[in-house]
Amino acid sequence: MKRWIVLSLFFLAVFAFSVQKLYVSTWGFNLDLLDKNITKPFLEKYGIQIERELGNNSVRLTKLISQKNDPVIDVVHFADYFAMLAVKNDLLQPIDVTKLSNYKDIYDFAKDPLGGNYAVGYTVYSLGIVYRTDKIKRPITSWKDFWSKDVAGHISLADITTTQGPLLMMHFNKIFGGDPYDPDLKIAFQKVAELKKSIVTFYKTSSELINLFKMGEVWMAPVPRFSWGQFLETGLPLAWVIPEEGMLGFTNVVAIVKGAKNLDAAYKYIDFILSYEVQLAEAMDLVDSPVNVKVKVPPEIAEKLTYGEDHIKSLVFYDRGFVVDNYDKWINKWNEMIAQ
Amino acid sequence: MPCLAFLIAFFMVPLFVTFFESVYQTGKGWVVYRYLDFFRQKLSRTVYVRSVLMSLSVTIVALLIGYPAAMAVISVRSDSLKSLLMTLLVFPIMTNPVARTFSWLAVLGREGLINNLLLSLRIIDSPVRLLYTRGAVFVGLLQLFLPLMVISLVSALENLPKDVPLAARSLGANSFKLFTKIYLPLTSEGIVTGSTLVFTGCITAYVTPAVLGGSRVLMLSTLLYQKASVTLDWTMATVIAVIMFLSTLAVNILSRAFSTLGVRK
Repeated sequence: MKRWIVLSLFFLAVFAFSVQKLYVSTWGFNLDLLDKNITKPFLEKYGIQIERELGNNSVRLTKLISQKNDPVIDVVHFADYFAMLAVKNDLLQPIDVTKLSNYKDIYDFAKDPLGGNYAVGYTVYSLGIVYRTDKIKRPITSWKDFWSKDVAGHISLADITTTQGPLLMMHFNKIFGGDPYDPDLKIAFQKVAELKKSIVTFYKTSSELINLFKMGEVWMAPVPRFSWGQFLETGLPLAWVIPEEGMLGFTNVVAIVKGAKNLDAAYKYIDFILSYEVQLAEAMDLVDSPVNVKVKVPPEIAEKLTYGEDHIKSLVFYDRGFVVDNYDKWINKWNEMIAQ
Repeated sequence: MPCLAFLIAFFMVPLFVTFFESVYQTGKGWVVYRYLDFFRQKLSRTVYVRSVLMSLSVTIVALLIGYPAAMAVISVRSDSLKSLLMTLLVFPIMTNPVARTFSWLAVLGREGLINNLLLSLRIIDSPVRLLYTRGAVFVGLLQLFLPLMVISLVSALENLPKDVPLAARSLGANSFKLFTKIYLPLTSEGIVTGSTLVFTGCITAYVTPAVLGGSRVLMLSTLLYQKASVTLDWTMATVIAVIMFLSTLAVNILSRAFSTLGVRK
């Protein structure tokens, strides 16, 4: 009896070690839903076990840099800006999109968000305006409404250190008559500096923003769509605005690490997460908004996602490479002009 | 020997590695000039001075409040009451500083305790901005680190021989002389320890300035976060960390020097 137990344990161990693994670097949110929608079905379909390394963008990027010469990670999930940083650090390899059967079914803006096919967008989110309809009685229609007197002292904007911050500044430069690709963003910095006294604080995370709304400190702010569900749960009377100048669009992307050891599995994984089934499941569970155009969701789910023709049409995307090139300069300028 | 080995392995080595990382960057070689870079920029100098002044003022106020508090604790005759007071002192330190900082949001917020009280007493007619100011950061830091000062002083006062103050009184010392010639010099070690702990805590605190000061009260710790997590300038982040350490060391040495000055007199 003992012999059989030992032998079966031995074979179990051998089996566990011999199952092919794919190392994926991603965030630690919604892990149970990711397991249900991705890990388990992927294992069933391909016999490949996904092993996840968790953390935020900057921690995982730093780890990739340290592993550069002998990478452990095969596939990496990043916010588009951080993926651009990874490209500049020569950490990624171009994706052969002909190997992805679901590539043709995704939005154009998700196909090659960084250029050179270094990454593919697998989810999208918008940055729109949210305001309290009980405190601000007239309808908000424009980003310029942040500069109106009736909202002064009750607004928040994104800090330059957030993912949305630098792109919001580029957008402000454009809507106030300048060029969004002005390396100094002169107009934007001037306009935001004008608004300094009127701003309660510049938010650094969406959870901080939700708190600011809950505490009654802030009545109006730019809000990323992925946190809109949590805003609705606060029970406050809120409205989501698609401003006339458009909402900012952001993609989270997936990319293959240069020198990845499980290349074939990596391609299978990327194709898998772009598939109709996975994109639908993730959308219905409110994990990620879909980029696959075939996905249709009911209205009560749609209102919490970045979804729908009007919504998607209004998205504005700016070049992330431009942000990477000028970020240090903007942070220093921000610290001097605005953070004092 | 084992203690020394432990100290070297878990204290000296990481300290040395941090210091080394601030002066040598893989791929670039020696980068000692980054220290000059830091002090050359007006912004870094402003942030550094702001952080040091904030930490010093919290330390001084903590000392001014902490000393009488510690003397009050010592003077309690009942042992059970004294243990209760000590427990109440230690308890906040065991609570997560994040939770303690966030609780200030409920007190200082626009719809918080203070504003509601002032509004109901008609002292003000609309809520006052208390959050996202240097004052809020000051109060948050003081509340966080005051227990450390009080505990250090209680420990120093407990070690004072009980008959020394009595002897001084019998020789004609008044309260002022008793305090300046006996209590202060003999508890100088406690003052130095308490001050170092409070100053270190203040200058390295991240959550309190970030949550209560927001983006407008940029401090050394929030600047370090920017360098490490946003621009990925790890060398500058370690430079800031070393500057924090050296500043704390300087405060420790200076406060020790002041206290021995008192003793010599």
